Amino acid sequence: MIHFRQKFILVLTILCVCATSWGQEGFPYPGVDDSRSDHVFISNANIHISFDKKIVNGSIIVKNGRIAAIGTDLEKPETASEYDAQGMNIYPSFVELYSDYGLKKEEKKPSDRNNWFSSSPDESPKGAYGWNAAIKPQKQAFRDFSVDKKAASNLRSHGFGTVLSHHKDGIARGTATLVTLSEKNSQTALLNEQSGNFFSFNKGSSTTSYPRSLMGCISLIKQSYLDAQWYAAEGHKKETNLSLQAWNDNMSLTQFFVANDKLNVLRADKIAKAFGQKYIFVGGGDEYMRIDELKNTGSRFVIPVDYPAAMDVEDPFAAEIVDYSDMLHWELAKTNAARLNKAGIEFSFTSDGLERGDNMITQVEYAEKAGLSKEHALKALTETPARMAGAYEQIGSLEQGKWANFLIVDGTLFEGGKLVSNWVQGAEHSINPEKEQLTTGDYSFEVGEDSYTLNVSEGRMGLALKIVIDDSTDISLKQSTSMNRISLSFSPEDSKEKVRLSGFWTEDKMSGRGQLTSGEWVNWSASLMDKKEKEAQKRKKKGDITSKIDQPVVYPFMAFGNKELPAAKTYLIKNATVWTNEADGILEQTDVLVKEGKIKKIGKNLKQGDAIVIDGTGKHLTPGIIDEHTHIAATRGINEGTQASSAEVSVMEVVNSEDIDIYRQLSGGVTTAQILHGSANPIGGQSALIKLKWGYTPDLMLYPNADPFIKFALGENVKQSWNRQGSRYPRTRMGVEQVYENYFTKAKEYGQVKASGQAYRVDLELEALLQILNSERFITCHSYQQGEINMLMKLAERYGFKVNTFTHILEGYKVADKMVEHGAGGSSFSDWWAYKYEVIDAIPYNGKLMHDQGVVVAFNSDDAEMARRLNQEAGKAVMYGNMPEEEALKFVTLNPAKLLHIDKEVGSVKEGKHADLVLWSTHPLSVYAKADITMIEGAVFFDRSADQEAREDLKVERSRLIQLMLQEKSSGGKMRKAQGRRKHHYHCDHEEDEGRD
Amino acid sequence: MKRLNIILGLLILAQFSWAQSDILSPAPGQDMPIVITGATAHLGNGTKIDNAAIAFSKGKISFVGRAADWSGTDDHIMIDATGKHVYPGFISANTTLGLREIDAVNATRDEREIGMLNPNVRSIIAYNTDSDIIPTLRSNGVLMAQVCPVGGRMSGKSSIVQLDAWNWEDAAYKTDEGQHLNWPSAFSYNWRRGTYGKNKDYNKEIKAIREFLDDAKAYCSISEDKLEQANLKLESMRMCFDKKAQLYIHVNSAKEIQESVLFAEEYGMKIVIVGGIEAYKITDFLVEHQVPVILQRVTSLPNGNDVDIDMPFKKASLLEDAGVLYCFSVGGFWRERNLPFQAGQSVAFGLDYEAAVSGLTLKTAVILGIDDRVGSLERGKDATLFISDGDALDYLGNKVGRIFIQGRDVSTENKQKALYRKYKKKYERQ
Repeated sequence: MIHFRQKFILVLTILCVCATSWGQEGFPYPGVDDSRSDHVFISNANIHISFDKKIVNGSIIVKNGRIAAIGTDLEKPETASEYDAQGMNIYPSFVELYSDYGLKKEEKKPSDRNNWFSSSPDESPKGAYGWNAAIKPQKQAFRDFSVDKKAASNLRSHGFGTVLSHHKDGIARGTATLVTLSEKNSQTALLNEQSGNFFSFNKGSSTTSYPRSLMGCISLIKQSYLDAQWYAAEGHKKETNLSLQAWNDNMSLTQFFVANDKLNVLRADKIAKAFGQKYIFVGGGDEYMRIDELKNTGSRFVIPVDYPAAMDVEDPFAAEIVDYSDMLHWELAKTNAARLNKAGIEFSFTSDGLERGDNMITQVEYAEKAGLSKEHALKALTETPARMAGAYEQIGSLEQGKWANFLIVDGTLFEGGKLVSNWVQGAEHSINPEKEQLTTGDYSFEVGEDSYTLNVSEGRMGLALKIVIDDSTDISLKQSTSMNRISLSFSPEDSKEKVRLSGFWTEDKMSGRGQLTSGEWVNWSASLMDKKEKEAQKRKKKGDITSKIDQPVVYPFMAFGNKELPAAKTYLIKNATVWTNEADGILEQTDVLVKEGKIKKIGKNLKQGDAIVIDGTGKHLTPGIIDEHTHIAATRGINEGTQASSAEVSVMEVVNSEDIDIYRQLSGGVTTAQILHGSANPIGGQSALIKLKWGYTPDLMLYPNADPFIKFALGENVKQSWNRQGSRYPRTRMGVEQVYENYFTKAKEYGQVKASGQAYRVDLELEALLQILNSERFITCHSYQQGEINMLMKLAERYGFKVNTFTHILEGYKVADKMVEHGAGGSSFSDWWAYKYEVIDAIPYNGKLMHDQGVVVAFNSDDAEMARRLNQEAGKAVMYGNMPEEEALKFVTLNPAKLLHIDKEVGSVKEGKHADLVLWSTHPLSVYAKADITMIEGAVFFDRSADQEAREDLKVERSRLIQLMLQEKSSGGKMRKAQGRRKHHYHCDHEEDEGRD
Repeated sequence: MKRLNIILGLLILAQFSWAQSDILSPAPGQDMPIVITGATAHLGNGTKIDNAAIAFSKGKISFVGRAADWSGTDDHIMIDATGKHVYPGFISANTTLGLREIDAVNATRDEREIGMLNPNVRSIIAYNTDSDIIPTLRSNGVLMAQVCPVGGRMSGKSSIVQLDAWNWEDAAYKTDEGQHLNWPSAFSYNWRRGTYGKNKDYNKEIKAIREFLDDAKAYCSISEDKLEQANLKLESMRMCFDKKAQLYIHVNSAKEIQESVLFAEEYGMKIVIVGGIEAYKITDFLVEHQVPVILQRVTSLPNGNDVDIDMPFKKASLLEDAGVLYCFSVGGFWRERNLPFQAGQSVAFGLDYEAAVSGLTLKTAVILGIDDRVGSLERGKDATLFISDGDALDYLGNKVGRIFIQGRDVSTENKQKALYRKYKKKYERQ
């Protein structure tokens, strides 16, 4: 519908062009009508009619805001005024796609504090809208648009003529409107009512507490798509929901997704593919870090040019806090556009993020210097965004009938050319040149008969001028400048009286008339002695470009990143003590052959010609460690604890491949880990099982075809014992049981409706719960006290499924017999206790007691630090309770594999299994054991000797970049304060709001 | 000898009967001399003696040497520890032991008073000798602890306790031995942005400390009869000005450590650094200023993405090589039982074994100022020591069979062992 209407309007506006005067037709005017027709003849210019076509010495006839004619042999119409653009270049003006120009900003976002702990159901937005305030597809920017002269003038100074504007707030943000930067009136400026539909992963000013995490944001978008489909098919018969109606209406528009981050692009693209959508991504300028994967999305991008400034690393201690990744990004950010272009990814530029004083053209110039051709730079500012906004018939190039939106540039664009004027819909807006100032340096200074050396330097309060007498003596001058005038005064040596001078200045010269102390009038002048100095200063201001398009990046883009991704090779590990975890037990002086990612052969004196031999003499080879419970490598939140159930959210959607803890844990022999949702609510979210393939993207880290799991939680966390004022149900263990009763009842009913063949609203939450009922999804349940453990097993039995794993399970030893009967495993801490009331009876013999009763027992980390010493945690099973060593090692290898249903592939050293192996320096359960080599599927992901080299490389790289930053500082480049990064280390009960930025 | 064996048997029986009761009594004072023979004795001073004899009576060590050299008399109870290891009792510095029972239950927490300046509060009177946590430390070899208040700028006075007592007075080993200053952080963390930048208030915060110490110094220099008004907080600093107590500065980054040391030196205080994450970067400075370091937990994560992944593991070794006086700590309460493994972990990353033992014993005692009485197996010192079946720094060896605190034969029992037996029994009956 809207699509059609839009086209209709377009046709209508084009027809209107014929009218003699254009503007607010029918509006009353005061006194005598003074509307004028804009009829201009611009001649003698080099006209870049598009990014790659140019007319030399051409003319443009502008009439009624549009290009009436364009070409080389045009004649000036009689009624037209003439603008001689001799020597000038004319370009189509730029199109900005990511802006909220002309729209009022949303009210300030509510403080997190208010939102965090009041977990009672939120009030829904008023009106016939959806329940979540972050989903507002009904927002239509064109309804709120009005001309903002100040903002328009600013955008024009960057070269923009047209802007796609939307409310930058919320997850579904509604439609964007295409407007020009005309100052005439809003009626003139508004070109197309709706030219795009915007999404993001930030809830913005939303007052609904859900979602609090990135995974919640993703689920909310998915569910909204489903709800909208349902609404179109059936739902609308029951009720009116303006949000869903608008959602459906907006689908015909171009879809934009504000991702701001390379991995978010991949996340959003998965949503797009699931719902048959294609997004244009507003990126974060870091696309080059994962360019192949982004290319594979087949998407187009809107990329920023707000390159990070260099950091002030003069203080070596302050420099220490700065991350290598930030330094390297500073160096390479300017190559982003050139790399995208080289990769064949279509993109446009946005000025989003530029600070006062930055200029779009200068910023794009950096991209040009880093290897992007001027043509492509222009394309990314004109034709590409115009096409993305669906408005290439109107803007984006200079053709007859298009809007007269163009730039007149003195010189060549992106080559130091200066923007003289920005024409919007035929109206000229001259651009104020940058403020110039005197070049610093020494001037020869003549005042009447006297000659001096005048030194001009940057002082704390603007320019400082002084006359240099000798090395130790100088005379300060008072100066004031306005526009091009300057006045100076000084007291010559041995005099208290003042010489007063007045005159004009240019970049490197001053001259005028003045009065000596005697009252005599004289001529004076000053000129820069060394012109080279001036050139050098000009160059410096721009900042030197050191970044190169072919400079390699590392994966992930941070310290210890891989230059090349580890790949499977043929390895022969010789003469090691092999802990098989199989019937063979521990084999002394044994060889293991690894080929094509698998364990090919175990035996003595194996030979394989092409294998890389690893000497295992005196060392121990074990299966890779499997951490059943971790919270590393997750992005923006580990808990979606805003509701008692968040079964719809999935950690699989938010795996963070760029987390240093992955590498650190490889150094502790970990090869597989289950990233669990936190324990804030009884029914948490779906977990992600990953292999720690450092360097790979999230999707490639996910364990393929693994059985899906979900986190449940019991006890103090879910009843929010820490929060006295908490009002989210449940507050007691009694309520916890009822939450499960409720949700499983609902899920059962849902399953019945689904099975009956009637139409139904697909509900992602109930889908996940139904999977549990059907034993297609498995529970890992955070639990401590025996009573609640027993409760959940009994409840599960009533609903006909099994609780797969109890995690933490510190009182498992009290009900181990019942667990065996039910068939539940236990994934525990070795020796934690005393951190909560519910762990008052926790004992380090828990693992042993459960194991002895026949429970499959694992030890897990739930802690990024301990995760790299899980072998030691297994050692504690020997220390407390005398577990046989082989069985203790299984606590962190084979047993968690069993609990995760992957023991057919991993968890033991067996021919045919994944070559996920760790070579330890000594007995693997000892505090003295170090993982020398950690291998996943036959590829070495950690090698202690390679790590030593990586440290040396890092040192060299860091000091190289620090030196570059120091150079940037001394050459007057843009700087910011040294700043470090610290990642959030999540634990079960971390529940901050990360649904907004 | 036979008679002695009977007594020994009785003693073991006695210990076993304690083990049967759920609530433990502190052990009675040593009434008979004891000699442990055949063990490897780790003296705590960086050396060891294989096949050693360690004798003690009335709570004091009377002999340490090779078993062959021991010529003690028959009246000693003989403990054959052949193949086993004897260590001085490990000392946990910088703990909240006895001040905290269950983290999540506020009513059981006594470690943090409100307000920024609490130099007058005393940890010793809040130390709960009946904490269930304490016996779980002993059974891993931790026999003494420094109990510290935390929080604010000045947290309060710490005391050192031995871990087998009826009440805090019995437990007290050295009372009010230090003040704890939490040095401001030059860099602050912005949680939302995940960034780490300069703390704008750093200088202001230091100025506030200076004002406090200047006032305290002035206050403490006035003779009592001329004081117009008593001030408990200012008065509390007197012990540091008089060097009767140490100033423990909790500080981590290299720059801050240097600044805090130079600052505190102006006031002529005895300084100990606690934390010292980046102490390894300024070892020359620390040696020059003779400032010791109570090291932050070894088993922690590197404090930055770019930092060597094993930096916390090798810190002790770096300080050792540079000649800085340091000791290990955990900085918690229940986790203190893992103190021995902080040293073990450091051995894996380059530290000499006996040096590591010293970082749990003698060096800790030196830093805490109690080395004249305890911390090593030396004649005349307290018989605070334990016997482990194997290497006590390793999970595979730490099996503490006998514990002596000031010669008292202390139980190795704890609540967790009792629960273990209780539920073992449940399953045995099935």
